[in-house]
Amino acid sequence: MEFDWNQEQKEFRATVREFLATHLPDNWENIAHGPGSVAQSDFSRQFCGQLADAGLLVPHWPERWGGRDADAWSAFILAEEMWAAGEPRGGQYMNVNWIGPTLMRFGSEAQQERYITPMAQGQTIWCQGFSEPESGSDLASLRTKAEKQGDQFCINGQKIWTSYAGEAETCFLLARTGAGKNGISIFLVPMDTPGIDVVEIPSLIGEGDIHEVFFENVMVPASAMLGAEGQAWDIVRKALSLERVGIPRFALASRVLHRTVAKLKQLDRFHRGAEDQAARAQAACEAARLFSYEIIDQRQKGITAGPEASVARVATVNAERSVAEFVVEHLPETLAGGDPLLLAHHQRGIVAGIASGAAEIQLNLVATQLLQLPREPR
Amino acid sequence: MDFALNSDQITLNSELDKLASKYATSPTEFRGFVLEDKQLNLELEQGGFFEAAEIPELGPVSAAMMVERLARLPYTAEVGLSMLVGPQLNGDWPRPFAVVENGRPGRFVADAATLIILDGDKVGVVSATPDAVEAVDSLFAYPMGRLNKSVVYTPLSEGEAANVRKWLRIALAAEAAGLLQAALDAATEHLTLRKQFGRPLGSFQAIQHRMAECTVLARGVRLLAIKAAWTGDAGDAAVAALHAQESATRVVYDLHQFMGAMGMTLEFPLHLWTYRLKALLPELNGRGGQAQAVAEHCFKESGNKKEHVNV
Repeated sequence: MEFDWNQEQKEFRATVREFLATHLPDNWENIAHGPGSVAQSDFSRQFCGQLADAGLLVPHWPERWGGRDADAWSAFILAEEMWAAGEPRGGQYMNVNWIGPTLMRFGSEAQQERYITPMAQGQTIWCQGFSEPESGSDLASLRTKAEKQGDQFCINGQKIWTSYAGEAETCFLLARTGAGKNGISIFLVPMDTPGIDVVEIPSLIGEGDIHEVFFENVMVPASAMLGAEGQAWDIVRKALSLERVGIPRFALASRVLHRTVAKLKQLDRFHRGAEDQAARAQAACEAARLFSYEIIDQRQKGITAGPEASVARVATVNAERSVAEFVVEHLPETLAGGDPLLLAHHQRGIVAGIASGAAEIQLNLVATQLLQLPREPR
Repeated sequence: MDFALNSDQITLNSELDKLASKYATSPTEFRGFVLEDKQLNLELEQGGFFEAAEIPELGPVSAAMMVERLARLPYTAEVGLSMLVGPQLNGDWPRPFAVVENGRPGRFVADAATLIILDGDKVGVVSATPDAVEAVDSLFAYPMGRLNKSVVYTPLSEGEAANVRKWLRIALAAEAAGLLQAALDAATEHLTLRKQFGRPLGSFQAIQHRMAECTVLARGVRLLAIKAAWTGDAGDAAVAALHAQESATRVVYDLHQFMGAMGMTLEFPLHLWTYRLKALLPELNGRGGQAQAVAEHCFKESGNKKEHVNV
């Protein structure tokens, strides 16, 4: 057992921090409203290009696709530092974490050539067309339809809660080509295809993050399908296992916690009540960190994460919540014109238990798969 | 960063498992609070388990894992202090150890050979004499004892005292991790077997979610305790002990609730773990004490322009 970083990992983290220190503008924290905002999306195109030039965008990808086959720890160290900095990669973190690797595994040669290189250069934003008005946690009930018409598919339906849709060039879209779970297929759809309409949803979590996306007679070639017809469920399950501990939310939560404590100390308001709550939040952040490291350790060893990934997700939600509650109780001015990074964290913390599978679904998985409690009859 | 055990640690755990398996179930006729078997203590001594942590390839991480493993047993023995705190004391102090905190009754005090005295800010270590201690009946499922007269001790230096407190926290967290897991396992079994409304209680989502939350807490305590044993860091120790006491309050309540009336009986052994957890709750000044320690050790840099703490 080893709870320290090796020299190479320490150096890699230092390199990433140095890069952030030299490439984030002085007013970065005023820009960092959230990965989906227009400002952050615009900034990400410039920043991810620079990251790519420095070999820091996709180090864990194969050499063929612009990486250097770095290990799972490097990818996670990178993710920790980026998220703690307010995610200057914007929505492109998704490309790096799971869309790119999924295309490498399941994409046709033409799809790989078309899409992976721009991702590796940090020049393209994707969105994830999964949820629908009637299909959230029950994703398999989705209704958006793709009907075969000759060598094309005609897509009709609606997606919702789609992050980055306003800025994305391409959608990783799930649509129904048949009945049931095995009747869902994935299409890689350029967002400028006629018939796609994107409407931003004003939200609590900040500007530009969630959208409705309408598909009306959207024609895509059959070659836009990823993998085989009906293979979506299998592909998405594998892809989301990367996403479940893809965002090291505890890293920003921890940074926000320490910054809040520092401010309270300056204001002479770090009294016993605040101390108690900060300590609990610290424990929650550290538990989430260790659970996540446990999963990355498995990933590093080629083990596919089981329900332990859900434990990590739940612990991460606990951490986000503890920090957000600590901040609002002891530094309420954060929500009224306060420190923009703390404000952005508070706005986005609410997402932790909802995005990438609701926390309640994770609890179901822990109960039935880890504790082996009997399933609820349906 | 590597969560895999080395071959020596795997061998040790497997040997301990073998030993522990003999004590894995409580006697069916048992209806008491304290379940001890002197043979367990003897076997641990004879097997050299108390010295194992001093072998460099094993270290305090192994000690923490042994404490956690043994705490899962229905039988209790003084292992936490012997394995994790004893090796930190200057001088050759014999086991078993016990803590007397501000004059209150403590676990294993009546049978201890060495007493660690926590007296306000001061910490002392003294040999226990039979005339100075007495057993106390209690609801806690540990053998409890107390001092029946004041003892004279020389306070440890500030550094030594801080070190003792740190390893007491790690021992508490490791012990709590095992107790939490065993209690969860016992409740899981009940929830799987017990049927109401024609289906196992454990199939109701209202219970599943709370059980899953308890699991996340218990597993977190284990990881934090093991990490703290590995780093020997005062902040990590405080975080682990705080999370242990926090989690215990929640888990003890929930598990008894899930057991229904069966959880009120001495027939079902849940109390062997939950009422031990209750004994750990007030230790080291309770949650408030751990929170202060977390604030002291984890937030000391906050405000000094060092934001990336503990990354």
